[in-house]
Amino acid sequence: MPIAVNVENVSKRFRVQRNSPMTLRGYVQQLLNRKLDRVSNFWALRDVSFTVDNGRVLGIIGHNGAGKSTLLRLLCGLGRPTSGRIFNDGQVSGILELGGGFHSDLTGRQNIATIGILNGMTKSDWRAREQKIIAFAEMEEFIDQPVRTYSSGMYVRLAFAAATEFDPAILILDEVLAVGDQRFQKKCLDRIATFRQAGKTMIVTSHDAEQIQSLCDEVLVLEEGRAMMHGDPKSALSCYYDLMRQRTDKRIAQLSGGTAVAALIANQGNRQGTQEATISAVHIYDMDGRATNTVRSGEGLVVELEIRLMSPVRDAACTVGIFSNAQGKCFESGIPSVQAIFGSFSAHQTIRCEMKHLPLCAGCYFINIGLYPTDWAYRYDFHCEMYSLHIESHDRTTGTYTTGIVAVDARWNLKTHD
Amino acid sequence: MGLIVSKQELNLTSEEYAFLMSMSHYFNLVWHLVKRDFYLRHTGSALGVLWSLLVPVAQLGVLSFTFSSVIRVETADYPAFIYSALLPWTWFSSSLSSAGNLFFTHRDLLRRPAFPPSVLVIVNTLSHLIPFLLSLPLLYGLMGWYGRFVMWNPVTLLCLVLIQGFLIIGLSFVIATWNVFYRDIAPLVGTVLSLLFFLTPIFYRPMVEGEYRLLLELNPMVTLINSYRAVLFEGTYPEWQPLILIGGISILVCGLGYFIYKRQVSDVVDAI
Repeated sequence: MPIAVNVENVSKRFRVQRNSPMTLRGYVQQLLNRKLDRVSNFWALRDVSFTVDNGRVLGIIGHNGAGKSTLLRLLCGLGRPTSGRIFNDGQVSGILELGGGFHSDLTGRQNIATIGILNGMTKSDWRAREQKIIAFAEMEEFIDQPVRTYSSGMYVRLAFAAATEFDPAILILDEVLAVGDQRFQKKCLDRIATFRQAGKTMIVTSHDAEQIQSLCDEVLVLEEGRAMMHGDPKSALSCYYDLMRQRTDKRIAQLSGGTAVAALIANQGNRQGTQEATISAVHIYDMDGRATNTVRSGEGLVVELEIRLMSPVRDAACTVGIFSNAQGKCFESGIPSVQAIFGSFSAHQTIRCEMKHLPLCAGCYFINIGLYPTDWAYRYDFHCEMYSLHIESHDRTTGTYTTGIVAVDARWNLKTHD
Repeated sequence: MGLIVSKQELNLTSEEYAFLMSMSHYFNLVWHLVKRDFYLRHTGSALGVLWSLLVPVAQLGVLSFTFSSVIRVETADYPAFIYSALLPWTWFSSSLSSAGNLFFTHRDLLRRPAFPPSVLVIVNTLSHLIPFLLSLPLLYGLMGWYGRFVMWNPVTLLCLVLIQGFLIIGLSFVIATWNVFYRDIAPLVGTVLSLLFFLTPIFYRPMVEGEYRLLLELNPMVTLINSYRAVLFEGTYPEWQPLILIGGISILVCGLGYFIYKRQVSDVVDAI
């Protein structure tokens, strides 16, 4: 299969200068004080190589600062790699960031015109496509308003419609699909599907691991500027989660002054985290307030977490999930920022997660509980498979059975035709 | 503005065809961006495009009042005399003052794949040329008012515009590039321009002889303004010798500016 994108040993260095002089005066001052040698090099990408075949969808995942955006910018031809080479076979189009790419004082229509011309179209060409773009973005009402008045959803809709309508050979999307409502996301995914059928190449990044898994043919994992893995989505994602684990271990070692702390003790399952914030106790109740770990299918469950924060931690993300050995994740509920939702977060407090109905099939499950920094970079405290949950079936004597994860109250009827 | 040609019709090789298409694309792009730049500068203001004509006219009013009624400079048809020099000067100074923040104000374009930032410098220079061209009828109207009917000399005028264009593009490359790294450049350019306004014979006739004359003519705008005045106001030909020298210098400045820009353009894209 012909190669659409070929990245050969690409590295990118940014010169980061503390107290970087923004003015000539600052420059001269630093020159006189001989402080200019404090330029430090920051390698956003280190020796990254990969190829993407025509018609494939490559997903790039990595933690914040792993080099995803730098890589995409280079693929778009913005800036030069410090070393290495990039070949693109065909015209590249893309949405790199929200807020870039459109001029805020121009109307949507005028911005479409500019993009069309930049894509090498003549006036009649882009005129012909303009209406299709507006219709796809559902922007008929606002297209003649300045872009600065748009909401972020409107912005992405228009950007996505324009980027795909002008028919590039290679489409690059950076965190774009996370914005917009469900219905529009579906529309975008449909269009991406037709894109793939037409043999076009796509490169996407997303924070949503499940979206990456369903969308991409192959996934590249970036960590601190290095390509850690390039392979099928499933193994790439497990590599990604493993990296998170390693980062947590590294941070534990840092916090304890270089020596690794003894593994945290757990009766069953395992526990990992830097313990800058700790889940000191977990209580599980049924809806009547009795401490138990056995409930009937369809009944409710309350999980109570006692959390202690070490300073300077002020905020955390918190998740409660139910997993089964056979089926994996049944569901997970989370709060990306406790402070944003509850207003305050003091050194010691209790968070309650109430699940009114658990429509799970009878069987053995685990409750996994996690406490993370708000950027999800590593784990403060993660209780994996430490708490069991037993779901009992209703003793309904109907003679039917249900398997799988979700216990649906299915009723069977028979109607005889004469 | 689509230039529609078919390869077979013109009997071209595919390389020649691709080159022609890319030229036509480039032309389309520049033309579109000039219109866009012009629109952006005037959108939202009640007077719109009139502003770019009114500012030189207001300047003209103040200068002619000061130097004909207050200080009494004896020059025939003084307002027309000033206006013929003020128009090219305004092109020069307004393009260079907006060159400083050029890459910042068009950040959206620099974020687009495969957009060559050098286009912006050309676009900026051209879009500031428009008010100059639009003001030419006003100039001829003013000259008619004073009963001055001079020879219309479009070829020489075009030469002057080209020479000045090269000079502006070259300087703009340097200003736009350096201002990304040192934000002092734009205010510095503003100050130098306001000083240079007095050192350029716009509202006076240069009568300095000897060593100072040489010093004054280090400023390339002196020769250009004198030539414009000869063509537009006097209706004669400019002095060719200094003009050819300035033409050479302009092309040199343009090349040097492009060289400086080219060396730093990838850092510019990173810094924006």
